Amino acid sequence: MPSIAISKRPYTAVLIVPTGIGAAVGGYAGDALPVARAIAEVVDTLITHPNVLNGAQLYWPMPNALYVEGYGLDQFAAGSWGLSPVHRNRIGLLLDQAIEPDLRWRHLQAADAVRATLGLDLADYVITDEPVGVELRQAPSGATWGTVQRPGTLLRGAEKLLQAGAEAIAVVARFPDETDEVALQNYRQGQGVDPLAGAEAVISHLIVRQFQVPCAHAPALSPLPLDPALSPKSAAEEIGHTFLPCVLAGLSRAPKFVEPTAKTAHTIWADQVDAAIVPASACGGSGVLHFGQNSTQIIAVEENTTTLNVTPELLGINAIRVRSYLAAIGVMAAHKAGVNARALSSHLAPIKPSK
Amino acid sequence: MTTHFITAEIDLTETPEPLSKAVEAELQKRGEPLRWAVTQVDEATQTAQVEAVVTADA
Repeated sequence: MPSIAISKRPYTAVLIVPTGIGAAVGGYAGDALPVARAIAEVVDTLITHPNVLNGAQLYWPMPNALYVEGYGLDQFAAGSWGLSPVHRNRIGLLLDQAIEPDLRWRHLQAADAVRATLGLDLADYVITDEPVGVELRQAPSGATWGTVQRPGTLLRGAEKLLQAGAEAIAVVARFPDETDEVALQNYRQGQGVDPLAGAEAVISHLIVRQFQVPCAHAPALSPLPLDPALSPKSAAEEIGHTFLPCVLAGLSRAPKFVEPTAKTAHTIWADQVDAAIVPASACGGSGVLHFGQNSTQIIAVEENTTTLNVTPELLGINAIRVRSYLAAIGVMAAHKAGVNARALSSHLAPIKPSK
Repeated sequence: MTTHFITAEIDLTETPEPLSKAVEAELQKRGEPLRWAVTQVDEATQTAQVEAVVTADA
C-alpha cells in the first residue's frame, strides 16, 4: 500500500481500456486487470472502469482502486460528477425476464455465494417486467455496439431496487447464444473484438445516466463446449456458470457519483487527475477528450492495439507516447517523484536558451 | 424510450469549441446521447467519424 507524505497531494491516475474495440490488452476476460494491479501499486488512487476490473469469476480487490462505470467516468472527466468513496454499497440485482429458469438459478446462487463467502450486502432481487431484448451489431470501424429493445424495463427494475434501498445496481441481461461463430471462436482464441461488449456498455450506461448510481453488467449466456485451445486471455469467462462475481465484488465498494455542490475533503474531481492511460489508437472517447482538455497528462500506450486508428495526434491531444504499460508505469513513477522522465535515459542534451 | 445506433461526421476545422461539445451537439439533433466515440479521423479532409447510441422517447 503506497504511503502518502503529508506534504504531497495524492497521485491520481485513470486507466481507460474502452470495451468492444478489440484491445490487445483488456479486450478479453479481464486481461487488463494485471495492468490495473501494477498501476495501483505505484499511484495513490487508481480510477478505472468495469471492463478493466471484471474477470467473470476472477477479480482482485484493491483498496486504492475505484470501480467507476463508463458513463459515470465520462461525466467525471467532464467535471459534471465527482466520485465519493464509500465503505460499502447495498447491491440491487436486476435479472432479465428472458433468462431461463436454470440459468437464473445459477445467477441467484452466484449472488448467494458472494453474500456468504465475501460478506457482500445484496437487497432482494428484481426480475424485469419484460424481456430486455439485447441486439448486437458491429460498426464500420470494427467496434461492437448494441441496442436494447426495451430500455424501459431496465429502468423500471432499477428504480424498484433503488426504492427498496439498493445503492448500486448489478444487471444481468440474457444475451443471444447464436452470435457470429467466427467472432466467438476468435474471441476464445484471444483475438478479434468481443461481440457482446458494446451492448453491455449500453445497458449499464442507461442506468447510470438515469439514476446517477454505480452500475455494472454481466451477460447471461449458455455454457460453451470445452475448447482445449482456449486462450489464457479468455479463460476467466469459461470457469464458471456466470459472469457475475466480479460485478458484485466491484459494485460493493464503487464510489457514489455526486454533484459539484457536494464537494467534501473526500470527494475526487477531474481536475485532480494527474494521468490518464489509454490505448494509443483509441483516443476518441468522451472521457479521453475531456481529460485531454485539462492538465491531466495523457499517456498513450502503443502496444495496446485496437481495431481503431484514432491517435492523439489526429485529434490534437497532447500525449506522451509509450510502447508498453510497463513504460507507462515508469512515466507515472517519475512524474510522482517529481523527476523529468528524460533524466532517466543515457543521454541528456544541455539546456538551451529560449527562442 | 428506444435506443438507436447512429453515425455522424464532425468537421474538425469548423469550430474552435472542444470536439466533445461539437459531437454532443451533433448527436443531440438525433436523440439523447448515451455512448459515443470518434472511431475514425480522415486527416486529408479533417473530418471525424463518430459512432454512437442515442435514446429517443418512443
